[in-house]
Amino acid sequence: MSKKIGIIRYRWIIIIATAILTAASIIPLLTIKVNPDLESYLPDKMESKVNNDRIGEVFGTYEPVVLIFEADDILNPSTLERLEKLSDEFGKMSEFTSVISLYTTRDIRSEGGSMIVEPVVKTLPKTAEEKEMLREEIKKNDLAYKLLVSEDFKYSMILLNSNKTLKDKELIDQIYKKLDEFPGNEKVYLNGQPYLRSEANDKISRDIMILLPIGLVLMLLFFWISFRELKGVFLPFSVVLISIVASMALIPLFGWELSIIGIIIPIMMLAIANNYGVHYISRYQELNALYPNLTMDEIVTQASLYLNKPVILCGLTTIVGVLGLILSVLLPATQMGVVSSIGIALALILSLTFTPAILSVMKKGKVHFDLKGEKVGKIVYTLNHIGKYVTENPRKMIIFFTAFIVVSLAGLFNFRVASDFNEILPQKHPYNKSINIMNKAFGGSKMINIMFDGDIKDPVILSKMSKYEEELEKTPGVGSVTSIATIIRKMSTALNDPSDPDYNTIPKTREGVAQYIELYSMNGDPAAFENLVDFDYTKAIMTIQCNYKKLSEAKLIIDKIKMLTKDDKGTVIGGYALVEKEMSESVVTGQYYSLIFAFIAIVILLSIIFKSITAGLLGSIPLLYAVFCIFGLMGWMGIELNIVTALLSSISIGLGVDFTIHIFWRVKSELLQGLSYTEAFMVAIRTTGRGITINALSVMLGFSVLFLSAFPLIKAFALLIILSLLFCLVSALLLIPAICIIYKPKFLNKNNKI
Amino acid sequence: MKKIFRLTLLLTFCTFCFSNTSNGQDAREVSKNSADIIALSSMEMVTSLKIYDQKGNVRTRKVSIASKKFGDVTKMIMRFVDPADVKGTAMLVYDYEGKPDDMWIYMPALKKSRRIVSNEKGKNFMGSEFTNADMSKPNIDDFNYKLLSTEIFNGKNCYKIEATAKTKDLETENGFSKKISYIEKGNYLCHKIEFYDLSGKLSKTQTISDYRPVSDNKYFYYLMEMKNEQTGRKSVLITDAFQAGSNLSESLFSPANLEK
Repeated sequence: MSKKIGIIRYRWIIIIATAILTAASIIPLLTIKVNPDLESYLPDKMESKVNNDRIGEVFGTYEPVVLIFEADDILNPSTLERLEKLSDEFGKMSEFTSVISLYTTRDIRSEGGSMIVEPVVKTLPKTAEEKEMLREEIKKNDLAYKLLVSEDFKYSMILLNSNKTLKDKELIDQIYKKLDEFPGNEKVYLNGQPYLRSEANDKISRDIMILLPIGLVLMLLFFWISFRELKGVFLPFSVVLISIVASMALIPLFGWELSIIGIIIPIMMLAIANNYGVHYISRYQELNALYPNLTMDEIVTQASLYLNKPVILCGLTTIVGVLGLILSVLLPATQMGVVSSIGIALALILSLTFTPAILSVMKKGKVHFDLKGEKVGKIVYTLNHIGKYVTENPRKMIIFFTAFIVVSLAGLFNFRVASDFNEILPQKHPYNKSINIMNKAFGGSKMINIMFDGDIKDPVILSKMSKYEEELEKTPGVGSVTSIATIIRKMSTALNDPSDPDYNTIPKTREGVAQYIELYSMNGDPAAFENLVDFDYTKAIMTIQCNYKKLSEAKLIIDKIKMLTKDDKGTVIGGYALVEKEMSESVVTGQYYSLIFAFIAIVILLSIIFKSITAGLLGSIPLLYAVFCIFGLMGWMGIELNIVTALLSSISIGLGVDFTIHIFWRVKSELLQGLSYTEAFMVAIRTTGRGITINALSVMLGFSVLFLSAFPLIKAFALLIILSLLFCLVSALLLIPAICIIYKPKFLNKNNKI
Repeated sequence: MKKIFRLTLLLTFCTFCFSNTSNGQDAREVSKNSADIIALSSMEMVTSLKIYDQKGNVRTRKVSIASKKFGDVTKMIMRFVDPADVKGTAMLVYDYEGKPDDMWIYMPALKKSRRIVSNEKGKNFMGSEFTNADMSKPNIDDFNYKLLSTEIFNGKNCYKIEATAKTKDLETENGFSKKISYIEKGNYLCHKIEFYDLSGKLSKTQTISDYRPVSDNKYFYYLMEMKNEQTGRKSVLITDAFQAGSNLSESLFSPANLEK
């Protein structure tokens, strides 16, 4: 009774404290910032990040934005004119350190014993003949053909190197403004990290603004349909709302920013935070119907005594599962683990304190509980039949489950880890369209850089670089390779005739190299080679453009680079492709750690709750079943393991274990009352089964809001988490009873207090 | 009364127009005098070019230059003296009026010279912040001039003159939309020029100093610096030796002579 006195005596303190907490949470919530840059969340010590920083120190940290123009024929005068004007205009903008286009690139060649240096397009072609002549000239220019103009002349690109002085959105707006100033019939597609981040940023804000209100309305409806009284709507809803506000406020309080993963946090809180409050209202309505003479204080006291233990246990297991995310290498997943586990803990505490405190100051409402259970007759009826079938045919059930998992696991052969984060945006998004064009028509959309150290004018180093270029260009997944060695070889073709032994080679002496470079820079911009070699010619960079699609191909390319450069001192391998590769690998490692942590923690927790290791192992079967089936189905459905889908197992383990706990709990109590294993499970499936089915449905309903997200990754997550919960539920209702009926585990029949 | 008012108005307007025109003429005149006072057309010199990057790293080049006008053609030969790996590398330019330049280069490491055909004059002088235009006499008629004020610069009383390109094409060709020059009163020596890029932002600042008289009424600068205000890079040109006029014969300005 002390509890009754506690909650009821301090109810106003509890209510006021909750109100203060909520109000205080709103202040930091207003300062929350969105940060869609996944790279910024990587640990600073990560190899690719360290290497990119080292390369950035020497070569600067500019970011490319690519504009791809699509036309029937790029050589149409109107298209060329537009490209020229835009190239000029972008060149004038101080936001770009350099602009690379058909109009900034030169045609350098040897002709009639002279070195010819000309613009690629000298004049606009006026006749069909002139157009074809220009086409033939471009085909011979390997500084432009397939690099700036596609093989079929349907696409041309302008590459803008941003000096990062503008925010992503402002930069992209400036580009669009220029495109509007010089309109044309060509379709223009953008890509590059600033564009991806700007688009993701808009969509993160849009998702939060749309998904959360819809989710809240859905929850209100769900509460109304379930309880048909304002108390039943208001109380769990306020717990949900306060938990969302408080947990989201933690993000700015911890000095973090909202990533794409952050969208899931409020929706997850929406789905989970209502669980505990729902139990409370359900119990209140039941007691109100069964014992009409009880006062509100007495109902609250009884409900608290009955519910505290199972609700705390379920809350704890969920928190432990979600905490598994802390072990992820990626900060957004760790943040989610911390924020949502604190949020869930708060929801749990509020459901056990704030809900009864408010309830105790309210008047008793009308009876809203159907004692005969007619309203949920269909669920009970179905569960009754299921219970009967399972208990009569446990072996058949096990065979069915085994067959299903075998079929699912076959999908693991197609299981893939995402090699990049392009799929953050929908397949049909112009960003992905431009990525596809880059991969098909140009050298590829992914960049790997190798920084060489030494006397770059030394022909030995340059020849080595030239050899690496040839080797790498033969590797599948590599589109093109460029370095100072490429340019020097190109110069040699303009300074020598094809019959000359020096044609298309690196000069044999250091002086020869120095004189080639001096000659070029005599006519060039002081920053002409800035992207290829450092000021004092002690460091050079090789850019490898890749079009691979699989992480395994990325690994092969990087292994090849490491093999080629293993004896070269001071070589640094970097580039955004490497960041993506390491992020993907961290997703896999994080997945292993989170999975192992959540699994072991749940086994230990169940073993302690039921004082039996068998209980721990048996209780984790539905979780393992669900996790492996989901991995298999991901293979079948072609859903890749990525930064978002990797969150699945921790969350589903945390949530799914509750179902088994409830079943064990009920069976144990039925066995104590003298029922057989078969009878006990029959009763448990019919009674507790109903509760956990409704509970699972409410959580699934909450997560289903994520189907409305603008991000395909999040939609896939919604599907998988719902399926995963379904597997946990079905395993708890069908597989666990089948196994227990055959093996009759002793822990269920022990008269030990939990 | 009305008449007096109209007359005053007319007078004010005329004074304004007159002063504006006179101002424009003055500014043009000052700029022309300033261009004429520098000995550039025919000379021999040895110069050191220091190219600095943003971090202050420096690259030094020493070249000997000889330039002489033969008829309508100004011929210029430039030969590297230092550093060792490019020593002997030479470039010969025939600068015609009204048609593209002829250019030859010689690379001692390959022991061969080659003609270069290029419709575009390299904008930067030897990969530095200076442009080729900075090395030659500006075409006075390409710009409109305006006297902004007089200002004391480095203790010298200077005209502050703004020159804007007359056409868009000239803007693009020069690579700047306007320049503001600080020209010393009395001797017309230009001490500072600010260049504004095509979007109107300050792009480069040139400071010119150590003027020395080289012939009758002609001067030459022995120190010139160009700072890129947008990138932080700068280049410094130090004249080691200068001789106005040249005694070299035309045969020395020939492709065949490059290899010698």
